[in-house]
Amino acid sequence: MPRWLAHTIVVAAFAGAIALAFWRVGYDWNWAAVWAYRQKFLQGWLTTVALSLAALFASITIGAVTALLMRSGVVLLESTARVYVELIRGTPLLVQLLIGFYVVASAVGLDNRYLVGTLVLALFSGAYMAEIFRGGLDAIPRAQLDSARAIGLDPWQTLRLVVLPQAVRIALPSVAGQLVSLIKDSSLLSVIAISEFTLNAQEVNSFTYSTLESYLPLAAGYLALTLPLSALSRWLERRFAYEAA
Amino acid sequence: MQRLASTAIAACLLFVAAAAQAAPPLRVGMELSYPPFEMTDPQGRPAGVSVRLAEALGRHLGRDVVVENIAFDGLIPALKTGKIDCVISSMTATPERAKSIAFSDPYLRTGLALLVGAKSSVQSAADLDAPGRVIAVKKGTTGHQFAATSLTRATVLVLDKESAAVLEVVQGRADAFIYDSLSVFQNQRRHRDTTRALLHPFREETWAVGLRRDDTALRDQVNAFLEAFRAEGGFERLGDEFLPEEKASFKAAGIPFYF
Repeated sequence: MPRWLAHTIVVAAFAGAIALAFWRVGYDWNWAAVWAYRQKFLQGWLTTVALSLAALFASITIGAVTALLMRSGVVLLESTARVYVELIRGTPLLVQLLIGFYVVASAVGLDNRYLVGTLVLALFSGAYMAEIFRGGLDAIPRAQLDSARAIGLDPWQTLRLVVLPQAVRIALPSVAGQLVSLIKDSSLLSVIAISEFTLNAQEVNSFTYSTLESYLPLAAGYLALTLPLSALSRWLERRFAYEAA
Repeated sequence: MQRLASTAIAACLLFVAAAAQAAPPLRVGMELSYPPFEMTDPQGRPAGVSVRLAEALGRHLGRDVVVENIAFDGLIPALKTGKIDCVISSMTATPERAKSIAFSDPYLRTGLALLVGAKSSVQSAADLDAPGRVIAVKKGTTGHQFAATSLTRATVLVLDKESAAVLEVVQGRADAFIYDSLSVFQNQRRHRDTTRALLHPFREETWAVGLRRDDTALRDQVNAFLEAFRAEGGFERLGDEFLPEEKASFKAAGIPFYF
């Protein structure tokens, strides 16, 4: 059976089961009320896209730098990286947002909540990225690095020609998973009153009391962001694939 | 022996059936983060004016009361889907809400007031509708609805906790927090140096018990209870127990706040 057909059948069965559940509960649908607020949904979705993209690139950078610091050989740098990763991974994003915005940002004088929110989100995701990248880098056997030196490659060439092609391929699925997580974690930014997608959907729910009619478009909106990301990741995996001897 | 056993089992089943048909507990929804109306005591049990009111209602109806702690903007969905039987959570009876649920007779008259930052130049609600003004509101409240419909030129910060909204005002990030006059009074007392209170309500409101639209039987019972409770001085007692200072201050300042 071709894959696209199987996907279609499974999704249709799923949707059918959910529709049946709704029909049996006898839910009183009121799409008109929510349609009147479509501008709010759109604005929220665009804000989430912008925040997620910014945090995405920032967290990849932070993660890469941190992973390299962890292997730098300088004890102080390695310690900084380790403490950062353990602290950020070990505390909830909610706590980081509240302390980050109401305490740290106030002390430093950073007032723009969108900037602070993106920064906190990037730092949060960056810690996970660092561990993913470290895993990818550690997977390259020492023997390869020795061989590279033996044939006269300098550290930069070794990184570019030997380490990265393999490490990226190993790390790619985890990175994509982390980025999908980041997009969904961005919904937590609403606690510091950032007007992103989830908050806007909740507001519409408050005004119209149409809970499911507000939250189903919310789910669809997030899928519209995460599915392309998964597709991109799979395409990249195919591109980086090579015959593993 | 077998006869005795089967008779005993039958008797037990009958007893259970009879007990099950006794009046089911009254499930009351409220958000326990609004002292002194809805809060928790140091042991973590629900306490406050609304809890006392719910217990009195339960006694009047001859039903046990179960208090469900639900976030404010989730109360109406919980009521509509049958997770709770009524909402006693200092909820304002508004025409918008009345499209979804039914309300009992009002039991308290209050109004929307402003908690203003000490450094802000806001003097009244009319000052708020200007570009550059930042207003904090709590999601799902009448303050939120007012800001969304009437303060379109200002920036509205929607927060899900009262404490976060107060923090925004205290830190000077928001000019004002729109909330009911009682809470504004209490918050201003806690932050005397960083905030001031504009207590005269710019919009008067009444609180009522929320019920499902088709639950007319319970609505009649609740209205009968409210009348009886008021007649025997129940509200006076609650006011004296939980809000003595506020009652006195508001009375002195001529601000409407009465059961």
